[in-house]
Amino acid sequence: MRKKNKIYRIVDLMDKNLNNGSKNLVTRETGRIIREAIETKILKEQEGSTIILDFSGIGIIDFSCADEVAAKLIARLNIKEYGDKYLLFSGLTSSQEENITASLEKKRLSLLSLKQDGTWKLLGILNPYLQDTLELVMERKLLTARELADLAGVEINSASTKLLNLNKLRLVVRVRAVLPKGGRQFVYESLIDSS
Amino acid sequence: MENRIYCPRTMDEATFESLVNQLERIEKDFGKPVIIDLSEVQFIDPYGILGLLEIGWYLFQDGFYPSLILPRSEEVFKYMERLDFFKNASELFPLNLDCTRAEEPFFRSSHSDVLLETRIIEGTDDVHSLVEEVRQRAETILTTHLKYDANAIDSFVVALSEVCQNIPEHSEDIGYVGIQKYYYGKKLGKNIVKIAVMDLGIGIKKSLGPKYAPSAKNWSDLEAITLALFKGASRFDDPGRGQGLTQVRKLVERWEGKLTIRSGTSRTGLAPSWDTSLLKISSLKNFPGTQISIILPEKLS
Repeated sequence: MRKKNKIYRIVDLMDKNLNNGSKNLVTRETGRIIREAIETKILKEQEGSTIILDFSGIGIIDFSCADEVAAKLIARLNIKEYGDKYLLFSGLTSSQEENITASLEKKRLSLLSLKQDGTWKLLGILNPYLQDTLELVMERKLLTARELADLAGVEINSASTKLLNLNKLRLVVRVRAVLPKGGRQFVYESLIDSS
Repeated sequence: MENRIYCPRTMDEATFESLVNQLERIEKDFGKPVIIDLSEVQFIDPYGILGLLEIGWYLFQDGFYPSLILPRSEEVFKYMERLDFFKNASELFPLNLDCTRAEEPFFRSSHSDVLLETRIIEGTDDVHSLVEEVRQRAETILTTHLKYDANAIDSFVVALSEVCQNIPEHSEDIGYVGIQKYYYGKKLGKNIVKIAVMDLGIGIKKSLGPKYAPSAKNWSDLEAITLALFKGASRFDDPGRGQGLTQVRKLVERWEGKLTIRSGTSRTGLAPSWDTSLLKISSLKNFPGTQISIILPEKLS
């Protein structure tokens, strides 16, 4: 069973951790302080959780700060430095997305940005062969390797590898499910609308 | 007998070298009182103001305490006051502040073309406060005169943040920033905004030296600036570092602006089609720190 999403507002973390009252994510030092505050929160969450970082109310995010609060965070998330956790960014403006994208591209990373209307956008770089699969998972909410193999007309091994790679990038959730006739299989779930 | 630094009629990026060139003569005559003579100045921009402060700091650190002869032009004097020159200069020059006040107080008009008065940058909080201030004032100048939309204003402020944070992050010294809007009638027929950012710190060559000098054929200021501006070089190994200046360059390029960086004995940068002045120079008189000028033109509506 998936854990409920936890939402952290970046403005709250800034209020708590900065002394200057700023709502702008500027300078590397600020980025480092806020990243560390986020890391503390993530580490306290249960394994398998999806954490939403809500950027609503934030002014600008410069490149140095974006490297700290997005690229470094995602790089560490991907190597499971925080355990089996997932991250979603929400409430980003287009210029914030642009700067975060630049920081992710530099390290060949990606993350999902959740829009107010419930739609999503991939920021950063994702191998094109995984993009279609990601879209399928996001659209169907749940997908098994067998289903993907049937839908995409590929071998089950290839389907399984694609889904596993998306999970390694923390873009889809992997859960072990019990089959009705007994036995187990992995189900891959969208990060969105899973609570 | 005193030693006098003569300031040119126009004080901007182009004439900054004339001040630097006079420093050698001053330093040879240690002990003689120094006077910086601004009497002939007819025009001064943020680069000129910041340059003057940096020259003041440079001499102050060398044990000099130069006096100022104020400009005869009331307009220039008022502008220097409006850009907070005297407020920032009080430590460096023996100023009788009563004498620097104009007879009639001149208020800072909301229609002023100054986007940011001279601000000292000592730490991260200074960058936060100037970013906030520019965002608040953006509508007056950036929207009205430069025709920047919300996204363009954000990009402008991000660029400002990146160039300013290099001071506490890399220079190991304090620095200054100033911003002003102008109308570039002859060159461009457009409004422009000029940003000047300066420090007297260790400079780019020394900052990047430990990592890049060993593999360089001839490690120089020009090579260091070029690496920082065009190759995203950083003294850190993390590939996410060194992106600030590179992204600023990309923005200036996209907006057909001009960007120059002077550090040590060299100056280089990006030249737009509307300004073909010589950019790459490696034989300047040495001056510590880094001096940055950014000019961004009005956007097409």
